[in-house]
Amino acid sequence: MLKGQRRIAIIGLLMALALLLAACGGQAPATGGGAPATGATAPAGEPAGGGAAASGEPIKIGAIFDLTGATGDVGTPYSQGQIAYIEWRNANGGVNGRPLQLFSQDYAYEVPKAEELYTQFVTQDGVVAFSGWGTGDTEALKGKIAEDKIPFISASYSAALANPAETPYNFIVAPTYSDQLIIGMKWALEDWKAKGNSDAPKFAYLVNDSPFGRSPLADGTAFAQANGVETLLEVPSPRGATDLTPQLTQIKDFGANYVFLQNVSSPAALALKNAKSLGLDIQFVCLNWCANELLIKLAGADAEGVVGTIPFSPAGDGAKVALDYAKEKGIDYGGADSTFVQGWTAMSILVAGIEKTLADGKELTGENIKATLETMGAIDTGGVTQPIVFSSTDHAGSKALRIFRVENGAWVPITEFITAE
Amino acid sequence: MQSGTFHTNYASDMALRPYWPQRIRIVLVIVLVLAFPWFADRYWLNLANTIGIAAIAAIGLNILVGYTGQISIGHGGFLAVGAFSAGLLAARLNMPMWITVPVASLFTAGVGAIFGLPSARLKGLYLAIATLAAQEIIIWVLNHGKLLGIGESLALSRETTNIFGIPMIGNTDFSFYWVIMGSLVLTVIFVSNLFRTRAGRAFVAIRDQDIAAQVIGVDLFTYKLLAFATSSFFAGLAGALTAHYRGIISWERFTIDTSILYLAMIIIGGLGSVSGAIYGAIFMTLLPAILSNLARALSGTVPQINSYLPFMQQGAFGLAIILFLIFEPEGIVKMWRNVKDYFRLWPFSY
Repeated sequence: MLKGQRRIAIIGLLMALALLLAACGGQAPATGGGAPATGATAPAGEPAGGGAAASGEPIKIGAIFDLTGATGDVGTPYSQGQIAYIEWRNANGGVNGRPLQLFSQDYAYEVPKAEELYTQFVTQDGVVAFSGWGTGDTEALKGKIAEDKIPFISASYSAALANPAETPYNFIVAPTYSDQLIIGMKWALEDWKAKGNSDAPKFAYLVNDSPFGRSPLADGTAFAQANGVETLLEVPSPRGATDLTPQLTQIKDFGANYVFLQNVSSPAALALKNAKSLGLDIQFVCLNWCANELLIKLAGADAEGVVGTIPFSPAGDGAKVALDYAKEKGIDYGGADSTFVQGWTAMSILVAGIEKTLADGKELTGENIKATLETMGAIDTGGVTQPIVFSSTDHAGSKALRIFRVENGAWVPITEFITAE
Repeated sequence: MQSGTFHTNYASDMALRPYWPQRIRIVLVIVLVLAFPWFADRYWLNLANTIGIAAIAAIGLNILVGYTGQISIGHGGFLAVGAFSAGLLAARLNMPMWITVPVASLFTAGVGAIFGLPSARLKGLYLAIATLAAQEIIIWVLNHGKLLGIGESLALSRETTNIFGIPMIGNTDFSFYWVIMGSLVLTVIFVSNLFRTRAGRAFVAIRDQDIAAQVIGVDLFTYKLLAFATSSFFAGLAGALTAHYRGIISWERFTIDTSILYLAMIIIGGLGSVSGAIYGAIFMTLLPAILSNLARALSGTVPQINSYLPFMQQGAFGLAIILFLIFEPEGIVKMWRNVKDYFRLWPFSY
């Protein structure tokens, strides 16, 4: 008897769940989505900059973040930066007096989840612009993005997304991974010469075993070979690896002088630690996603001397605004300054396009925002990047970055802005 | 009151749905499926299509695991084979969908049979590890796809999504709904009838007691391979549909997580049951969607809920499996049967 009752209780529970689902399903479109992640509910009257809180019809922006997936280590501070930017804008009067409303959720770096959330935010909530994350999911969504005409920035700087003839609504807010790798190689070639060598150095790649990891390798190899570096070794770093000694031994046997890391911070830090215990005398060059404070935090002293291509410099006025706001609000992004600033700045570029569209008196549609971004000229990011310029033939908005090096536990710029050309 | 069921001819004896409540229910389901896309927006169509594809693959896995008793954790790999073989035919040779999907399904059946070879010698956990190897090998080959001329991802042109030369109309989610549901209906009819044939009964005999099956004349090796091939055929079908529906595929969609998810689907839905596989696919696809919609609805009153949502989703997945294993190991299909039994005797049940 008890068993029977229990069963009925479970069935009842499931039915209740089903009813709830039906209720949510009905409600969500009617109220324009119940969950402004933070946006419109930003507390009014906060003395963040003196501006009045925004009112009026909210401007809806969608975003997917990786908080729990394979790239969650850098995904979390990036998401905090984007959310903080929206809050900061709203506390300072919003955009043309209208508040920004962010629809965001974790997608755990899973392509199907990204598709589901994208569809929900675009079709049910009616977002006008979107901020994505990974290479795999941005690639998977590119067809839908073009179909829906949603201006889309992402944290994937894969060169494959920079050509508006193929992906008309994808905008790249940093130097592409290919450009970053080439800039890193340019620096390495000069560094090699400066050390008094006359022969060509040997390059190796240690990359995330995914589309993200391999995205710049073909372009990088072409550049290296044009500059006399003959054979390049490509070593994939498996997902979830806890020891990279075999991979590093392979690099050691190859005799590499420079190793380019295209990976997120945790596995890159592991590589640095393993390299130290193997006693390797190799210069590591980190691209974007491992060139951040998290790497120093995780690798400690073993990160000393590592070189990084950092497209969003945590120095400059723009960065100061972001970091001060975080301090004021007590946002704990785990010390990942540059990643937090990156999220903040990326969102600010998208919002700059929206702001200009409204200022021009145009209707806020994907097509208009795209046209504005392509024609509005340079977008100033307060020294975090060089001014970002999009055109109708090139959506790679940023071409230059500075090389940084870890000195005494902090990233220090060692060059001026360099381009890949 | 009816005291029993008495068949007076072979047709009624063989009918899949001999009783009137079953017929009413199936008519209701058909009406629901036909009416749904006209009322749903793209978000719900996308979910329905995801469920449809998942159901086809789950039914396929259930043939192998639920009916034949062979454990496979390589189903994600077989989906990938289907997706990439259809994708390569469409992207490189510009073949239309109505050719690539059946060809890819048959090819996947062949690949599945090859990876089923170890089942001749291995059972239980050992076979599970052998199929894990299949998963890893397939994904490795696709990930380092230079061997096959695949880049990081494979894009299929929209022109290939036609049926006998007739291009699909409307938006992608709407038009694919009919293709996917059509495939699902064919799958359900085929598999429901499969277990009324010699081969299907041989599968069940192997599951229940392989030595006894051999003694009564079931060729274990042939039928185990056949089970692997049939199961992989439907994985291939699901994979090929995914490829055409999504337009772009990369191996990241078919990792070991996918294989585990499908196992979870058939365990929660009900092992050895076609409808169970469908219930499982619905449950596992809707659970995260329900949770996130619930969080959206609640975030007005409980603003912090969004930051806990990722952990709630992961926890709910584990919790669902544990609760089912404790309270209803036979899955949703058994719960449904209990409900029916309860109401059949209502109000005199005891």
